[in-house]
Parts: sequence; structure tokens; C-alpha cells
Amino acid sequence: MIEAFYDISPAWPVILGGLLAAAIPNHHVRKGLALLAPILAGFLWFNVPAGVHTGGLIELGGFVLETFRYDGLSRIWGLIFIIAAFINALYGLHEKDRVADAAGLIYAGAGLGAVFSGDLLSLFFFWELTAISSVFLIWGSRTRAAYKAGLRYLAIHVLSGVMLLAGAVVHAADTGSWAFDDSLSTETLGGMLIFLAFGIKCAFPFLHNWLQDAYPKATVTGAVVLSAFTTKLAVYALARGYAGTEILIWIGAIMTAFPVFFAVVENDLRKVLSYSLNNQLGFMVVGVGVGTELAINGAAAHAFVHIIYKALLFMSMGAVLYRVGTVKASELGGLFKTMPATAIFCIIGAASISAFPLFSGFVAKAMTLAAVAHEHHYVVWFILLFASAGVLEHSGIKIPYFAFFAHDKGHRVREAPVNMLMAMGIAALMCIYLGWPDMFGIPGGYRALYNLTPFPEVANEYPMWTFDHVVGQMQLLLAALFAFAFLVRMKWYPDEKRSVNIDFDWIYRRAADGVARWGHAMFGRLWASIGNVLGATRGRMGGRLFEAFSPMGALSRDIPSGLLAIWTSALLAIVLLIAYMAP
Amino acid sequence: MSDQSGKHDDLVHPAARPFLWLDAKWLKSSMLWVLLVLAVGFAAIDLFHHRHEYVHLAETTGFYALWGFGSFVLAVMVGWFVIRGLLGREEDYWDGEGDQ
Repeated sequence: MIEAFYDISPAWPVILGGLLAAAIPNHHVRKGLALLAPILAGFLWFNVPAGVHTGGLIELGGFVLETFRYDGLSRIWGLIFIIAAFINALYGLHEKDRVADAAGLIYAGAGLGAVFSGDLLSLFFFWELTAISSVFLIWGSRTRAAYKAGLRYLAIHVLSGVMLLAGAVVHAADTGSWAFDDSLSTETLGGMLIFLAFGIKCAFPFLHNWLQDAYPKATVTGAVVLSAFTTKLAVYALARGYAGTEILIWIGAIMTAFPVFFAVVENDLRKVLSYSLNNQLGFMVVGVGVGTELAINGAAAHAFVHIIYKALLFMSMGAVLYRVGTVKASELGGLFKTMPATAIFCIIGAASISAFPLFSGFVAKAMTLAAVAHEHHYVVWFILLFASAGVLEHSGIKIPYFAFFAHDKGHRVREAPVNMLMAMGIAALMCIYLGWPDMFGIPGGYRALYNLTPFPEVANEYPMWTFDHVVGQMQLLLAALFAFAFLVRMKWYPDEKRSVNIDFDWIYRRAADGVARWGHAMFGRLWASIGNVLGATRGRMGGRLFEAFSPMGALSRDIPSGLLAIWTSALLAIVLLIAYMAP
Repeated sequence: MSDQSGKHDDLVHPAARPFLWLDAKWLKSSMLWVLLVLAVGFAAIDLFHHRHEYVHLAETTGFYALWGFGSFVLAVMVGWFVIRGLLGREEDYWDGEGDQ
């Protein structure tokens, strides 16, 4: 333990590494930085004494910014962000893109900074930094579609930041406090604005489309990096500020269910993973909404393992994209023959996300389900169980089956580069280790996960590895697997075809865009019509005035004095008449 | 050059050669029965062992198997007929978006 470093947030070496990477033209030095920065962050994380620690105070314009709050909640999120930053750096070692290197590091550092923020202003700063830095991972694809998706992504996330700041200001005006803690409430205007800001980043239903729009269009490495930080930061923020908020239970339940239907018929496998990500976030949001110690542990443990297995799945699809040039299910198949290691890693990721016993998803998801049942949210429990079978469908079966097995499309490509395999290997090992049970008196790997949760004593009391639990889970998964084989045999399973499915983003990408274009066109016409009318009126008025006042006009004409005398007499008569009749 | 079985394909990865049977037709046709046996086998455990669950309905024999099968079929059917049927569009649907 080095006391001098106690107050330094692990975010700073990663952000600093990113800023340096932006200035360093040498590829090897940049990659060295990308690997070194998370290691330094890890050192700072391990260096902090156990318990709650507050540090990194910065005075700025009368405010005291708290940049390093280390406690049970930020501890687990901080560690997984550091691990993800390292794995991502390893995975992207072959890419020679200075902007992506810098953006990836700054983005990871901003995520860490937000997790360790103790006040709403620090949170806002890092919140916006995640948005601005991460968009370069989408634009890095250098396609027109990616450019547009990046713009939409940036607009939505900047809006989230603005709402966060507005909410923070209102909240501070109401309470006199800028603290980022459980004093937030959806019953106040400020609290509601902040809640919605978190909801946008968390991809709540109807606010979710930025995720499925942007992630599949990101670079090979960019999608992996993106999958780790943004949405899990939002889950952390909800857990920090809104644990036990009941509406989250229903929001989360909807989030687990609806992406399943879209993922079933989606052809782009990275988009399938994006819908799957949305579904997994739902489990965490439900856990936060239930808000008990067991449920918060469930959400935290789920976020931890999810970041690893989701990154593993994105990495395997990234490797396929890198080698084959597409991740369209309709174009893939039989790749296990040429990419066997990638196929194995993908299957491990698929088994983990499906929560097969001996894999990490099994030990994390169970806590959330148990907490939901404990609190008697039975309808939600059934929805989560449905979603569990749905996860198996799209991430457990569809991803590995259509990419690596199914119909051999004859792609004879090389195995993924060594650095990609190493990154996938580390993630795959973690998926197995974190799901490993106690055996022969040796504590299982899942104990390490449970000890990291915000309430480790509650987690370790939870009876994870019971015969009943294993049998129940295997019943669910095997019956769902049988359903897949049955539907395929009966030809009742939809073909993978080249198509897209419109989602709620149609509202702003087509309907609102159409209304805006129509409004623009109508305004143009209206403006032209007004111009015409004004022009005609001006012309007529000018003509009349000309007729009256011009040298040839009526008023310039010589009027006979007799006519003038008659008019004057008439006016005088009228005046006299009015004066006579007046009371 | 590649062939569908991969047996005579020089480009197949050496580590994958021992596993080319994964692509065999007999495996694909028998997988249905293997999975059926496994699923029924695990469901049958409930006949001999009473599971203790937080939700009482889940203690019904074969509950998770039935729920897993039903959920999977529901997900596929809704995805196929509702999502693809109503919301499916040609692949180039978004092409040229915002270019006008």
C-alpha cells in the first residue's frame, strides 16, 4: 500500500494514456500505453485500503469535486471496467488507428471516472466525456452509415448529459446538495430528469434504439469496447441513486422480454448481440429496482460477468467480421472448420450468457431471480424466466450456430490474429473461473465474484450450488434446446434472410424526419406565398399611392374652386348638425 | 479449394479436422433425439425428487422444462410472424436515409 496514491482515481492514468496516445504517432508506443494504462489503474484500485474511502477532492469555482469515492458499489464496477479496458487493448493490438486508440482509452477512463464520482458535477463531466470519446469508435468504421449512426448516438448521449446537468442543478437548488447518492428520487423534478438521463444511457424501452443502431456499425474493436462501458455505467448510476425504485422492476422486465423477439429474426449478428445486451441490462435493472441487498448483489455480479461474456461474444463476432468481412447470418456458416479456437471461445461466451451451470452467468443471474421471488414479484419472475429461454435462443444458439455451424458457406479464412485469440482466451477463462463451484474443499471461483459484491456476507449466504437449482436450470435450457432442434426439423424456424426489421427508431428516423421535411417544404411554400401576397399588396398599394400622389396623380390635379366650395359647405353643415344634436 | 465436408480441404484448420463430424448429417438428424432424451431425463428427475423453490408453481413436475420449451417456441413464433411479418423490410430500407 502506497499512501501517496490513495487519493488518485484509477480513471486518471487511463485518461492520461488516451491523451498521450492521441499525440503519439508511433503505433507500438500507443499500444504499449493502451496495455499499461489499465495495469496502472489496476494498481491504484488494489492500492486503496479496504472499506469506504473518499479522496481526489478538487476545488473548482466554489465547488468541491469528489473524483474518487471507493466503496462496495464502485469497487466491483471499477475493477471490471479496468479488466475490460485491458482485454479491449489486447484485442485491438493489431489495429493501427491513432484516433481509435486514444478514444478507446479516454472512453474507458471516463467510464471509470464516472463510477468513482462522488458528486453530480464530476459525474456530469465524465458522463459527457464517455459520449464524446466513444463516438469515434463508431465513426472509425469510416462508412456513411456509421457516420450517421454516430451523429444520432452523439445527439442522444449529449441530450442525456444535458438532462443530467439540468436535473443536478434543480436537485441542488431543492436540497442544497450536489452529492451523487441515494438522496435522488423520481418524485422530484430534478430527480426525474436525472433518472431519465440514466434511462437513456441504460437503453430503457423506447429510449433504446441508439444501442442497436450504433454498436453494429462500430469498428471491429469499437463494438467490443462500447459493449463494456456505457450501459453498465448507467446501471451503476441507477444502483447508486435509485436502488429500490419500484418502476425499475417493470422497466427492467420489459427490457428483458422485448429484445428477444427482435433478436430471433435479426440477420446482423452484431445487432443480435446488441438486442441481447438490452435483454441482459433488463435483468440488472430489475435487480436495482428490487433494491434488497441480495438484488443489488445480483445486479452487480451480473454486470461483472456480463461485461466479460458479452465482450467475448462481440470479440468472436469481431474476429469473424475481420476475417470474413461480414457478420450477416445469411452469409455465414461452417466457420468452425477454419476458426476453431474462435468457435470454442464463442461457445463458452454463449454458454455463459445462457447461464449453463459451470459458467459465470449461472451464478450471477440466479441471485436476481431469487431476490425477485423473495419480494413476491411473481409476474416479473415469470417474465425473467421467459427471457432466460430467450437469451438461449439468440445468444446461446443463434450466434454460434449460424456463424460456425449451420450450412457451410465455404468461407475458408484464417483463424483470428493471435492477440484477438489471447483476449478471447482470457475472457473465456474468466467465464469458466467465475462460474466454478466449490470442489474438494477448494472454494470455487464464484466465491471471488461473491466477495466482490457490495454485500459479500449476503452473497456468500446465498445457496448457489444446490441440486434443485442445477436441475431446474438444466430442465429449462435442455427443453429450450430441444425446442430449437424440433422447430428446425419441422421447418418452423425462420430462415436467415437479408432483411432489416424496423424498430422504435423508425419514429425519429422516418416519421419525424418525414414530418420535419414536410414542414420544411410547407414552410418554404408558405413563405413564398406570403412573399407573393406581400409583393402583390405592395404593388397595389404603390399603384394606388402613385395614382394619388404622383405628379400625374389625383391630388396633383387642378380641382375647380367651385367643387371645393361645395365640399367645404357640406362638411360645415355636418359639423353644425352634430353640434346642434349634441346634448 | 474448399469442399462441403472439409475432409479433402487443405484450408481447413488442423485443429478442426478431428471435429469435422460436427458437420455430419447423421449428427444433425440425431441431435433432436439426443436433446429429447436429455430434456425428458432432467424433467423426469422431478418424479423422484421434490425440488424446493421460492415460487410454488415451479415445484410442479417438469415445470422448467415446459416453461423453457413454451418460451422458446413463443419467442420464435412472435419473432417470425409479428416482428418479421409486420416490421420486416428490405435490406436497403435505410439506404440513402437523410440524403434527400
